[in-house]
Amino acid sequence: MLITLAQAVVNGLLIGGIYALVSIGVTLIFGVVKVVNFAQGEFVMLGMYVSFFLATRLGMDPIVSLVVSVPVLFVLGMLLQHYLIRRVLGLGDMPQIFLTFALSLLMMNVALMAFSANYRTIQTAYSNLALHFGGLYVPVPKLIAFAVAMGLSALLWVFLKTTDLGKAMRAAAQNYDVAMLMGINPDRVFAVAVGIAIALAGAAGSLLMAFYPAYPMVGQVFVLMAFVAVVLGTLGNVTGALIAGLMMGVAESLGIQFVGADSGMIVVFVMFLVTLMIRPNGLFGGWAR
Amino acid sequence: MAGTRIPPGVFVAALAVVAVAAPLAMPTPFYVDIMIRVALFSFIGVAWNLLGGYAKQLSLGHAAFFGLGAYTSTILEVNYGVSPWIGMLAGGVVAAAASLPIGAMCFRLRGPYFAISTIATAQVLMLLFLKFRGLAWGAEGTTIPNLGDAPLMMQFAAKAAYYYVALALLAVALVVTWLIERSWMGYYLVALGEDEDAAEAVGVNVPRIKRHVFAISAFLTGLAGTFYIQYIYFIDPNTAFSFNISVEAALVSIVGGIGTLWGPVLGTALLEVTSALLQSWLGAGLGGVQLTIYALILMAVILLRPTGLIGLLTDARDRLFGGGKRTKEVVFDG
Repeated sequence: MLITLAQAVVNGLLIGGIYALVSIGVTLIFGVVKVVNFAQGEFVMLGMYVSFFLATRLGMDPIVSLVVSVPVLFVLGMLLQHYLIRRVLGLGDMPQIFLTFALSLLMMNVALMAFSANYRTIQTAYSNLALHFGGLYVPVPKLIAFAVAMGLSALLWVFLKTTDLGKAMRAAAQNYDVAMLMGINPDRVFAVAVGIAIALAGAAGSLLMAFYPAYPMVGQVFVLMAFVAVVLGTLGNVTGALIAGLMMGVAESLGIQFVGADSGMIVVFVMFLVTLMIRPNGLFGGWAR
Repeated sequence: MAGTRIPPGVFVAALAVVAVAAPLAMPTPFYVDIMIRVALFSFIGVAWNLLGGYAKQLSLGHAAFFGLGAYTSTILEVNYGVSPWIGMLAGGVVAAAASLPIGAMCFRLRGPYFAISTIATAQVLMLLFLKFRGLAWGAEGTTIPNLGDAPLMMQFAAKAAYYYVALALLAVALVVTWLIERSWMGYYLVALGEDEDAAEAVGVNVPRIKRHVFAISAFLTGLAGTFYIQYIYFIDPNTAFSFNISVEAALVSIVGGIGTLWGPVLGTALLEVTSALLQSWLGAGLGGVQLTIYALILMAVILLRPTGLIGLLTDARDRLFGGGKRTKEVVFDG
């Protein structure tokens, strides 16, 4: 019993690392630009396909292909901000929600036409390797994904805390008007913030590719988890999103273990709705970063 | 005054005549089927628009009410032999009742997070119907017993009959919207849609108005669920709680003109006819084309004309018949 519980928690934490990367991206965009990116999951999907084709055409390891997917998606993120999101800033909820929502629909369905609905997987030398710690089973590809995800989150944290650009981003998130008065260039800060967020989604995709199938709608699973995590972690709070992302993974895994194989999402959604009832401002209030 | 302004009633009457006579002019049932879809999704869009358009509470979970309406009438019919006409009303009531706890949870959030929480509730309902077989047939779903031509059980031999039912539903929703638009409730809705806090500050009971409009919108959407299942003779959780229903409800309103009486109808006509044309050009083979086109249309509308396409029509009408705003302004300027 105890070992089953521990195993479920470990499984949850491992996938929770990916949820955390996606959630941090969503919360970063929301915190700085004040727009919820409904297409975040589709950039995870894009990252997966980038790694899939690099693996099948060039034989590149999916973890190594991060060096391609991250910069490519960073640039895509900057373009997304410059050509789409920028044009609906300050226009109210409807355009802001439905622009990225339309982008999500577009990306899913173009992917469906281009890549078909087939599930794509790749085999690596370590795909079936696992470590054993006193009865606990830890698959190597998930462990690598988790470690890299945590490393990237730490890197982002250092970036936000120590660099001028990172500080400018946090300033713009806290008080846009004052930040602009202090001479921060919003176009640049916003583009970099969205670029980083999308790059994180791409990184999540590449990391997933080692153990998870790619298909056009794959992003939906991750974006829903991310939305829940971002609300739980208090909107715009990066550390909160990280912790909540890991919690989502554990909650889903416990749901699968103790309620039933198809109940992971029910547990997550119910948790979400219950949290809304008791703590509508999330678990980690304020702007603590 | 160049007083040749045609009263809006004339346009509505002309449109009604065309809508009623149209099936007679359709060469094959294929076209009637498109018209049924246009009427049905216009109806859902008009219902969505009450909450999403006037009150600006952008729900992406109206499939919850569609599904509850559909399941209520189907359970009543298949298990207890109750006519779907009664089941339809029961389904609307169940949907409206469900909107109360759902609203109590989701209205705690605003803007995009309200939208997300409505997605979550619709997904939870779908998962519950999938998982608990005791509730209603589980994932396999069930077929509606085919009784042939049985109008009392909402089954018709002629496709056109289904069209008239959908058209009647649409007419009801339009009248309800029109009445609300002109009542105190309409003004309150627009006020809270513009700025919730300001509306609250001037004494609008925002939570109560939201609750009421959500219940009305859910009730109407529940009716649509019953009709749709009766039309396709089959129900399962993936059909009844399909995310596409939620998406289309919002999409048609936004493309046509959010918060306007006729916007959802125009949006549905445009999107459904586009999709039908695409289908006849490309065949059913290429998945994804339809939603790709929808997404591009939605993006174009948001970037170029966020008030929706209805504005193009009213502008054209005013140019042609010298009506509307311009005349009124002249009157006021004296």
